[in-house]
Amino acid sequence: MKLKYILGLCLVIALVALYYRYNPEVYDFFPACPFHKYTGLDCPGCGSQRAVHALLHGDVPAALDYNLLLVISLPFLTIHFFLKVLSHLLQRDLNWKIWYKPIVPKIVGIVVIGFWIARNIPVLPFSYLAS
Amino acid sequence: MDDQQSKGQAFGNSPFGNAPVPQPKNWLVESILVTLFCCLPFGIAGIVNAANVNSKYAVGDYAGAQASAAAAAKWTKIGFFVGIASIVLSIIFVFVLGFGGAMMGR
Repeated sequence: MKLKYILGLCLVIALVALYYRYNPEVYDFFPACPFHKYTGLDCPGCGSQRAVHALLHGDVPAALDYNLLLVISLPFLTIHFFLKVLSHLLQRDLNWKIWYKPIVPKIVGIVVIGFWIARNIPVLPFSYLAS
Repeated sequence: MDDQQSKGQAFGNSPFGNAPVPQPKNWLVESILVTLFCCLPFGIAGIVNAANVNSKYAVGDYAGAQASAAAAAKWTKIGFFVGIASIVLSIIFVFVLGFGGAMMGR
């Protein structure tokens, strides 16, 4: 259990360093999205590598332009993992219970699929969402 | 009020009553991460199963919630390992090709 967390932390640090140092827009060794490659359409995760690179350099507007969904979900994910680590350290269950409300996964699903459709509509208000 | 609450708890915890089991892990956060960073179909499958876990648990279908939790875990793990594998492969690719070959621009 402990080893899993240490390995996970090492992986996260390595990925942060990688995405800070190399811009996925310029270097070709980052994995490309197969869905985008073969259909030319954007999936809900397209642009997230470039968005992470932009965020690590403090460029929030560029990150929003690459993948709005990633930037919106980061505060939620941060709270989740912060509370998870805190519960582990204090040996008390402080985990965020929001994920277990019946409505929450439905909202997440609707937002993800809605974002997927919207960002592929090539008309002006929606085309801002494209990666 | 206090009395009612303690009665309710005693009933809920009694081995003869319909004891509430803890809600199974629904893998929602992991599914969101998989959707955002890797593999769309696995992430969507995970989110759909997470929705099933929560709604089945809410209506008291504990066995169904367990089954959906197992399905959510399966899809999320497949997505996670496919994602890790593709990152590792592309890093290995760099060391085989060298950075000059990799720097082609888009």
